[in-house]
Amino acid sequence: MAEAMRGTVASLLRGIDRYNPENLPTLERYVQMQAAENTYDIEANLAVLKLYQFNPGYFQTEIASLILLKALTNLPHTDFILCKCLIDTNRLNELPVSKILELSELLETCDFERFWAETRDDPDLISSIVGFEDSIRKFICHVVAATFQSIEMEKLQQVLGHVTPMVAAQWVNKYGWTTQSNGMIFVSNQEESIKTKNITEKITFDSVAAIMSSSR
Amino acid sequence: MWANAEMDADYDYVGYYGGGGGGGSGGGGGHDYDGSHTGDPRQDMEYERQFQSSYIVPEVIKNFLVFFQKSVNDQNLFEVQNCYENGFNKLTDRFFKNTPWPEADVIAPIVGNDGIFLILYKELYYRHVYARVQSGPSLEQRFESYYNYCNLFNYILNADGPVPLELPNQWLWDIIDEFIYQFQSFSQYRSKVSKKSEDEIEVLRTNPKIWNVHSVLNVLHSLVEKSNINRQLEIYASGGDPDSVSGEFGQNSLYKMLGYFSLIGLLRLHSLLGDYYQALKVLENIDFHKKNLYSRVPSCQITTFYYVGFAYMMMRRYQDAIRTFANILLYIQRTKQMFQNRAQLYDQITKNNDKMYTMLAICLVLHPMRIDESVHSHLREKYADKQLRMQKCDMAEFEQCFSFACPKFLSPVPPNFDMMTDTFHKEPFKLQLRVFLEEVAQQIQIPTIRSYLKLYTTLPIAKLAAFMEVTEEALRTQLMCFKHKMKNLVWTKGTSCLEGEFQSASEVDFYVDGNMIHIADTKVARRYGDFFIRQIHKFEEITRNLQQTAVAAK
Repeated sequence: MAEAMRGTVASLLRGIDRYNPENLPTLERYVQMQAAENTYDIEANLAVLKLYQFNPGYFQTEIASLILLKALTNLPHTDFILCKCLIDTNRLNELPVSKILELSELLETCDFERFWAETRDDPDLISSIVGFEDSIRKFICHVVAATFQSIEMEKLQQVLGHVTPMVAAQWVNKYGWTTQSNGMIFVSNQEESIKTKNITEKITFDSVAAIMSSSR
Repeated sequence: MWANAEMDADYDYVGYYGGGGGGGSGGGGGHDYDGSHTGDPRQDMEYERQFQSSYIVPEVIKNFLVFFQKSVNDQNLFEVQNCYENGFNKLTDRFFKNTPWPEADVIAPIVGNDGIFLILYKELYYRHVYARVQSGPSLEQRFESYYNYCNLFNYILNADGPVPLELPNQWLWDIIDEFIYQFQSFSQYRSKVSKKSEDEIEVLRTNPKIWNVHSVLNVLHSLVEKSNINRQLEIYASGGDPDSVSGEFGQNSLYKMLGYFSLIGLLRLHSLLGDYYQALKVLENIDFHKKNLYSRVPSCQITTFYYVGFAYMMMRRYQDAIRTFANILLYIQRTKQMFQNRAQLYDQITKNNDKMYTMLAICLVLHPMRIDESVHSHLREKYADKQLRMQKCDMAEFEQCFSFACPKFLSPVPPNFDMMTDTFHKEPFKLQLRVFLEEVAQQIQIPTIRSYLKLYTTLPIAKLAAFMEVTEEALRTQLMCFKHKMKNLVWTKGTSCLEGEFQSASEVDFYVDGNMIHIADTKVARRYGDFFIRQIHKFEEITRNLQQTAVAAK
């Protein structure tokens, strides 16, 4: 459904018609579809926030919250910042938006343990987004892959939200990581890519050729 | 409010602006706000009008205007440019340094009531009022200038074929630039409700369509569409001939350039509203990595890079921001002398230059990397203190730098005139500042961690935790944050500035293996080659010039 809407919505957003508030109901329905069907369209969502910015009377907290939560599912991309820049300060300070801002803060600072604790305390907040937790786990795996050469299994379970060893093993498989005999998870051989480099200047022949010919 | 949603294919511009009047040039008529104007200013206006009508236009001004008009009508681009860039400015300095030029009504008989020329004249007239006249534009002048732009754009956009008008690129850019500037200025003026009289507020309340954000967007979008500029740029980027898709209007240089400048105008407008995605999106067909036909107006080029760089900075694409700022700052460094005799342009470039250096300083604190040597040395000379304070987590310094360098953000909607607050006009700025500072706060530990990492090749987590005075657990979190924030989306190919892939090119990098941090410190040697090659070329040029003068002297 949402995928089928993508084309229709894209045509609504072409040219000056993008600022037509009469399109809002369609676009808002599209946001709800994205939440229910685990799809994502940042451009359409930003267009909704822009219409709210131009017509503050139409602002719907519920839709804005969905958009912000969806933006979190697209981490490590900075979509959340883009959304935040379009929402009035007053709105940002209201619940549940302010709560979502806190979640974003925890994810951005990689404080995953507290993030999972917060979502456990308030499960309703994220329940409207299908596949929310797994999207976040994908982001966490991205950070783990960037940071570690090897990591304790226990630690990995922790950052993924205290998941069972079974679930953690699935993520390990998904990214092609391996379990070592000492119980550590080997992520990747970082030595290959992260090493001390000395970059010295190289001057190409072409850049000197012109001088040589002119100073003959 | 969306009364104009039912626009057919060929938009009805006049209707859209709600500028009264029926015909193509009627926008200026029927100002319903006249009746409700305040007592005092009206008397002032009355006085001014009397003064103006008895004001005798000096002969030299008369001659200039007649010649200017003739050049415009002859489509003599060279002379028009000369009148625009030199004549007008020289006469301004001589006769109208801080006072307005004669009103259009007064000069109308001199130029034989030439409608188009009078519109162009008023464009210059109001721009001068905004820039130089001490009291600034009155509410009435703001409205009049708006109507004048409507008339100009109506004339250009409503024609059946390309209009017989040719203006220098610089002027076309200035028209778009000024149009947005006046919109920005009006939005800010409108938002500051506290100092206004009841009558003024009433005028604002009853004229919601004047300088409305939709009208401004509509003009820019219409110019983009009329010129087919996006298709043209697409073909150009892929190596084809833009004329093959430009169409009747797009082939005409007036439309083509206005279309291109409108894209840059949209970049600026979206940035002012905090919509950085859309700001970069409108540029998706422009290839900045290739010199193009359109890059010949320096102020346009500088504006473009300023807003692109700023958008990147807000999107945490520091590497792209740094590349963008460094490029244009180098360009300014090399071309600045060219503008020395054009005071206003020179001032504007200098101001932008300082703003961009400040943002470059911010970005380099957050994402240290090697940049062009000459830009770097200027930065070290002028911004070392600021950078040091930011490195030491001084949030106030970040705030100061951001406030100085950021664009003048604005609200697209009028304030609630019934519930006035003194802070309404500051809200858009405060929001962007907040987003920026929250981002900085999230990564404020990174410079400290980096300063320790630099000293080692391997370092146990426990040891670094002790240095940082945090638990090992907390340090692991901070290390992950370091990696996350330093992995930026970086542009690699294609024309769209939004595309990119994740890279980390920061000077200090590391990975964690069990309980040990392994550090890689990338050292980039200084580059001298470029500098020497440039100097040799310069030297060659001097010798050549000397030889030529020597020959000529004989």
